[in-house]
Amino acid sequence: MLIITRISRFVSNFQNLVALFAGACIIISLAGILSLPLGFEEQQLYPKTLDPASSLYPYDRGGVPFGTTEVVVQYPENSPYAGYVTAYLTPLSQYLADHTHYLGTTIVAHPGGIIDEILYNTRGLDTVVETSILFAAFAIASYLFRREVK
Amino acid sequence: MSEIGGSDLFVLEFGDILHYYTPYTTTLFVLALIFTGLAILSRPEGQVDIAFGGDAYYAKETAVSEMRFRRFMTIACGLATMGAMGSGDIFNFTLFASLVGITNVGIVAAVKSRHVLDAAYEYGIVAMVATLPLFGGAALILATTGTLSIPALAAGGFAVPPIGKALLALGVIGEGMAPFYAAKAEMFRAPGAPYVIMCSLSSLLIFLRVVEIAITI
Repeated sequence: MLIITRISRFVSNFQNLVALFAGACIIISLAGILSLPLGFEEQQLYPKTLDPASSLYPYDRGGVPFGTTEVVVQYPENSPYAGYVTAYLTPLSQYLADHTHYLGTTIVAHPGGIIDEILYNTRGLDTVVETSILFAAFAIASYLFRREVK
Repeated sequence: MSEIGGSDLFVLEFGDILHYYTPYTTTLFVLALIFTGLAILSRPEGQVDIAFGGDAYYAKETAVSEMRFRRFMTIACGLATMGAMGSGDIFNFTLFASLVGITNVGIVAAVKSRHVLDAAYEYGIVAMVATLPLFGGAALILATTGTLSIPALAAGGFAVPPIGKALLALGVIGEGMAPFYAAKAEMFRAPGAPYVIMCSLSSLLIFLRVVEIAITI
């Protein structure tokens, strides 16, 4: 049997698909490990310092609410108001931040907590697409759950 | 900069995320647009199985609710493909690619055929696992160059590690199954022609696009 026939027969069986992809992942990972000392670029686009003592940890980006805060962005001309609402907290969030140490862990649980401009303004389309992925996944799951069983 | 896509025709700005259209990506975008339009307008095929050696045949009916759901998923897949074609940001591109992967599973998930669903399950596992190299590649590129913008990376001055590009390409291959059509063909046995072809077309398009990105940056 020709080797190409053997390969195509192996590939045509979808049961082998996961094994094939896992093999490719292993090869690429080994190549990655071999090329390992990869330099970390110090001039990062979205710099961030972590302060475990802050009550907003790990979401604390510093800055003054409604003041001019220096925000490093790729295209400053596209975001003329960058840095304006960084570090803004709603009164409830401010109260929680003052009295507890865990506001950073509840960022998704209350609206208007920390308006992270990098997340929602300069990289706003990412947020939209991420939500679309979630929406598509929920649409599939709800369709499969609700369809009638014959 | 190795310009395989040609010069920019149009740039759309979303803050730090640019969508740029070169003649190459515009061609792919228009292809996705036309096919999405066709999928919206056309009605699903009616498959007929003929019993060998007799006069009997079985016509497979596609229920309206199933057709509507699959058409919705096809439109979502077309929109995700169009987004991935123009994206000028590596992380945004990976998000669109994973949206293509999940909608591909959604297109065949509505089919009531054990064989098709078995194939879709295997494909879904691969699409799920492929997010690791996909986002890993984007993260590696961000860590080693400090930026995610494709035009900025293409302008030169950055040493993009080949392993980052390889992981990105591997992730897109896993999301779209681009070179493994033989395996994906099992999914295409699902009745309802214009919708299942969207799986094939979208994976082909995102694969062509990731090749362009890997060469350009």
